[in-house]
Amino acid sequence: MKNLLIKDFRLAMHPTVFLFWLLSAMLLIPNYPYYVVLFYSSLSLFFVCLGGRENRDIEFSLMLPVRKRDAVRARICFAVISQAVQLIVAVPFAALRQAMSVGGNQVGMDANIAFFGFALLLFGIFNLQFFTSYYRAPEKVGRTFAASSVILFAVIAVFETLTHTLPFFRLRLDTPDPAFLPEKLAVLAIGLAAYVLLTFIACRISEKRFESLDI
Amino acid sequence: MSVLSIKDLCKSYGEFQLQDVSFEVQRGEIMGFIGRNGAGKTTTLKALLNLVHPDSGEVRFFGMDFRENELGIKNRIGFVSGGADFYPRKKLRSISAVTKSFYPTWNEAEYRRLLALFALDEGKTPAQLSAGMKLKYSLALALSHGAELLILDEPTSGLDPVSRDELLEIFLRLAREGVSILFSTHITSDLDKCADRITYIREGRIVCSEDTDSFKSRYRLVQLTEAEAKELQPYLIGQGITRGGITALMTPSDTERLGIPSQSTDIDTVITHWEKEGKA
Repeated sequence: MKNLLIKDFRLAMHPTVFLFWLLSAMLLIPNYPYYVVLFYSSLSLFFVCLGGRENRDIEFSLMLPVRKRDAVRARICFAVISQAVQLIVAVPFAALRQAMSVGGNQVGMDANIAFFGFALLLFGIFNLQFFTSYYRAPEKVGRTFAASSVILFAVIAVFETLTHTLPFFRLRLDTPDPAFLPEKLAVLAIGLAAYVLLTFIACRISEKRFESLDI
Repeated sequence: MSVLSIKDLCKSYGEFQLQDVSFEVQRGEIMGFIGRNGAGKTTTLKALLNLVHPDSGEVRFFGMDFRENELGIKNRIGFVSGGADFYPRKKLRSISAVTKSFYPTWNEAEYRRLLALFALDEGKTPAQLSAGMKLKYSLALALSHGAELLILDEPTSGLDPVSRDELLEIFLRLAREGVSILFSTHITSDLDKCADRITYIREGRIVCSEDTDSFKSRYRLVQLTEAEAKELQPYLIGQGITRGGITALMTPSDTERLGIPSQSTDIDTVITHWEKEGKA
């Protein structure tokens, strides 16, 4: 699987993966729905899979001495690394945003510790929906991503609505760090656990679906 | 020992069915896998590597079951489907660097030798290569990891006659070195030049799998007038109209017994008349 992962970085990686990592800097925008940054990250994964279809990546990979499930694991592992980099790059910008004396984010959730918990949950949901659908019909990756985007924005809408309406979100989670640190750390831990679980399930289902697929 | 053995392979695709496909490829043998477009050649080749899941049947490479020994077997074979059409904008150097990392048996010196032999420039991309050069690049990749069996899907399609001839000579050289080659084609003249054996598939069924010479000697070609053809109707196989009258196949015993002048056949002639007869 290690070689397939290297193959993904050397051949399959679309330039937007790198460029969209840099969009983590959007957390510096004083008032902005920061979850949109996560959409760009997901968009870059779509470009990788779309490019794979145009470059016959699946056919190329399966001619190599690998199992079909290895190809799935490597691609999801690539996504995990990309998403991790996206969030790691975002951390200093989130810290900088907090240090700016312009007040909290008026549009949506602050770029704080809880935000990263929700971001992980969002990525987990994306992985589950996108990859399980992609590996059922890789040639229909456009349709798959359209469905994933609808779900992604629906979840973002729910998160942002809760931020404005639910007192626990508004008064405790949507606050500058380190206020309400235990609650925010709990959200981060739950987000991380959900991400790991959802991505693991995504991997298992995708492997099964891809294994039964006629290429 | 056969390097590839397929037994009773079946696959249903809606209206198309691959039925009880069985044949064997021996070491150092060139096997031509022929049939019309849509006869089931590509489906069969993909089913060998489990890219298409057979409903039933057995596929053994080097005496081993494919599903149980997938990695080991893939290390010993090369599968080329339509030339190097993957990553057309990446340099060959990058594609090769990735490919070699998968093969513990990769022979860099052999790879360099093949690049020089095929006049391949690693600085080029597949998009900059002609169909023939793409195929040579695919062959170079397959042979550099010491593939003992090459499975090639329609390798000569889209090649000009000179490139085709060049490729067939490469096949013959490889076979002399002990490499087995299974290649599908609908260009039967390729087989006359290099195939030791042919396997003929028609509408998802194997019609025959035998030595090329014995295949060709099954029948004789006769050229008749319309009146003669009418008279000899029960003995004729796959009548076709030509400028000179009627051509058909007859068994050697019939031509001898009836004293009909006849010529030897090539694969193309046999297949065309068989298809016409529809009773192969």
